[in-house]
Amino acid sequence: MEVTRMSSTASRTYLDQFPAEAKVIKAAFWSSFMALAIGGLLGLVQALHRTDVLRFIDPADYYTVLTAHGVLLAITFTIFFLVGIFTWAVTTSLDRGVVDIRFTWAWYIMMVVGTILVGVSILGGVVDAIPTYADVLFTFYAPLQAHPAFYVGLVLFVVGSWLAGADWFRTWWAWRKENPDERIPLPTFMALTTTLFWYLCTLGVALSILVFLLPWSLGIVDSVNPLLTRTLFWYFGHAVVYFWLMPAYMMWYIMLPKLSGGKLFSDPLARVVFVLFLLLSTPVGIHHQYLDPGIAEGYKFIAMTNTMFLLLPSLLTAFTVVASMEHGARQRGGTGYLGWLKALPWRDPVFTGMALAGLMFAAAGFSGMINAGMNINYLVHNSWWVVGHFHLTVGTAVALTFMAAAYWFIPQVTGKALWSRQLALGQVLLWFVGMTFMSNAMHRSGLFGMPRRTAEPQYQGFNFEPAVGTVGEINAQVALGAVLLTVALAMFLLNMVLTSFNDDSDSLPANTYAGTLSGPEDSPAVLDNLKLWTAIAVVLVIVGYTLPLASIVDSGGLFGPDISGFQLAIETDPALVLESVREVMP
Amino acid sequence: MNIHTYEKAWLVAAMVLIVGFIATITYGAVGPGIAMIDDDAGSIDPNEISDHERFGETGVEHLGGNEYEVNVVAQAWSYSPSEIEVPAGSEVTFYVTSRDVTHSFTVVGTNVNTMVVPGQISEMTVQFDEPGEYGILCNEYCGEGHHTMEGLLTVVPEDEFDLTELSTDAPREVEAGNETTINATVSNGMQDGLETTATLEIGEQQYERDVTIDGEGSAELTFDVDTDALGEGEHDWTLTVDDHEESGTLSVVSGTDGGDTNE
Ligand code: HEM
Ligand SMILES: [Cu+2]
Ligand SMILES: [Cu+2]
Repeated sequence: MEVTRMSSTASRTYLDQFPAEAKVIKAAFWSSFMALAIGGLLGLVQALHRTDVLRFIDPADYYTVLTAHGVLLAITFTIFFLVGIFTWAVTTSLDRGVVDIRFTWAWYIMMVVGTILVGVSILGGVVDAIPTYADVLFTFYAPLQAHPAFYVGLVLFVVGSWLAGADWFRTWWAWRKENPDERIPLPTFMALTTTLFWYLCTLGVALSILVFLLPWSLGIVDSVNPLLTRTLFWYFGHAVVYFWLMPAYMMWYIMLPKLSGGKLFSDPLARVVFVLFLLLSTPVGIHHQYLDPGIAEGYKFIAMTNTMFLLLPSLLTAFTVVASMEHGARQRGGTGYLGWLKALPWRDPVFTGMALAGLMFAAAGFSGMINAGMNINYLVHNSWWVVGHFHLTVGTAVALTFMAAAYWFIPQVTGKALWSRQLALGQVLLWFVGMTFMSNAMHRSGLFGMPRRTAEPQYQGFNFEPAVGTVGEINAQVALGAVLLTVALAMFLLNMVLTSFNDDSDSLPANTYAGTLSGPEDSPAVLDNLKLWTAIAVVLVIVGYTLPLASIVDSGGLFGPDISGFQLAIETDPALVLESVREVMP
Repeated sequence: MNIHTYEKAWLVAAMVLIVGFIATITYGAVGPGIAMIDDDAGSIDPNEISDHERFGETGVEHLGGNEYEVNVVAQAWSYSPSEIEVPAGSEVTFYVTSRDVTHSFTVVGTNVNTMVVPGQISEMTVQFDEPGEYGILCNEYCGEGHHTMEGLLTVVPEDEFDLTELSTDAPREVEAGNETTINATVSNGMQDGLETTATLEIGEQQYERDVTIDGEGSAELTFDVDTDALGEGEHDWTLTVDDHEESGTLSVVSGTDGGDTNE
């Protein structure tokens, strides 16, 4: 069977088909771009400050900047884009609108309110008029304590995303009533499985905030168990990585083959991949805690094993994506062992951006395998290696795929043609080049011990000794990469703004996604049994987490041994710091 | 389900790769690698660190043979102690805890890298074969001064290492003709006995004393100083035990100027 777009809607844009939904999606995309714009600029400030190329902020403010960069990019940018894409995917593939558009606006507005609360409380770190403190970075490890508004904002944002998930499920349920015998269309299947593991994993962070951190920041309870809230954070913290990644995967599965001129190799395998992510995304979080005390080695070992199996869906994806691209290229007349590569549409920024993002993701896979190795992790944990790694994953595999996708989506939801394809093509290439410099140099820095999250990594008592090259040369590459990335970012935003004002609305492509060579009828129906997979995922989480959590609570207490909050600012709290120094002085 | 042959081959290759990784890491973990940080060292109430048997007094301790223990407290934004010295050829177990927020204890360029979470004690054991100097830094954000948090670990040649402590108690001023003494306490932090000599030099005079101290013991030394031979005036003195030195000044004054004072 060929499941390309239904003929009734062929050659119509998404805006023509779903004008109401298109508005929400456009709003979500713009929220995402704004986060990207601010966050990216702050990234440049960080890169220049750390490498001592240009320092114009106080080192203490560096951490306010870094908190904003982390939250805006890792949480706001990615998730706003995700809700936009998934809403598109569900409505397009089910060929029906959402059940109630007011509900759709409601979750979007809730996420915006949450973002504003979080953003303003972070801003309090540098603007005296705002009496909030939230220099806690996006991981907000207790007993560093943020203003309650920061936690409330996060909760609103996450609950908003839950409601978005509910919206997709409602839409699917409505469709199922109308189409009782049909398989779940692949894009909807991807959105739903991703939503399910999002529910599962955000439970941890919701628990951490609502039961522990928020009451503690409000003074309702006096103490927390830092290892417990940290473990609950990472219970969510690894799965969130896959949450960002899934829309990118979706693009690689359902857009890239079409852009290459062909079809997706296998619908069943794509379903298997998403089921594996549902099963394995959460019970691996402890691999972020290989170096934490208070967690027995056995639990770390289980997390490591699960993590390695989580490589499987990514390896399968690599295969399917490359095979689909090859199929497309051969349809376009490509021949030869590798000669088909030349037949791919390299002048298309949407294609090229996604292909380059996929390439960087493959590189990231290698540094990720190093991170996942429990003992090698000692060498790189919390070093700049890790920052280099996730600028390849979320900073490129995800971000570049999203930017490339935007070149296709923004015309779809606005009905306006992309302002400049050349600029877009230059932009994706420049991002790739910039990230090659920045990320490679960050990886190298990590190998000689350069710490992450550090405003001015120059020490009084010792110097770093790179095995190859010099610290200065490596820093210069980071700074150069950061500048190129920022230029690329500006090019992207300019193109988006000018597209919105573009009068040209001719020759817009129809709203379609890739058909498949091997369709859903080739896959067993059990793959669509979401209840079954959710149940197994829950069991795996229970198996992976019950014992470690029980032992953490057992040894440190549910609320910890009288651990109060710290807001360790140099100027505001010298007494506290002095006191702690005095106590240890003989 | 219809799976393409190439897909099957890839699937098998992927599984082999994954199992291979797990096997390698398992071998690394149970074989020659360093043990993972785990929950062996237990938990601690951060408010009671100063009274804790281990962290009440921080620093290096000798366990016997080539085994040592180093107890470290991390706090915003320093380590106590911030300078650590251990001998080459030793096996050192670090115990680290935090007084306030989460920090790390990271010895640059080595596998010594642990999170330091308040309420928990991190324990890790490492071999130091060769002499060398390593920076210590905190790689977990811990507040605005995070980037200033550092220390230094020095691995000294085995024969230059001891855990001897020397303290002295001497008058500042003495009347000419009176007898006086310079007292010293030498303590030996090693489990093995210490045999050495203590030397006091004052003016032109030199006194030597052989000292023998049991493991974990200390000795009191008393040097009688002949003030007549020194004569009136300021006399610098130095007391040396191995690499350790204490010094001061003794003024010998004429009878009318004052008495025998300490301080
Ligand atoms: C203009 C492009 C960018 C530049 C120049 C940049 C630069 C940086 C730098 C220098 C750091 C390290 C800070 C430190 O360790 O002290 C950092 C951290 C980080 N970046 Fe970026 N970045 C960019 C884009 C992105 C994107 C697109 C994402 C994600 C979508 C991202 C996510 C993050 C995250 C999550 C952190 C870690 C924050 C933390 O440690 O709390 N960055 N970035
Ligand atoms: Cu610290
Ligand atoms: Cu720190």
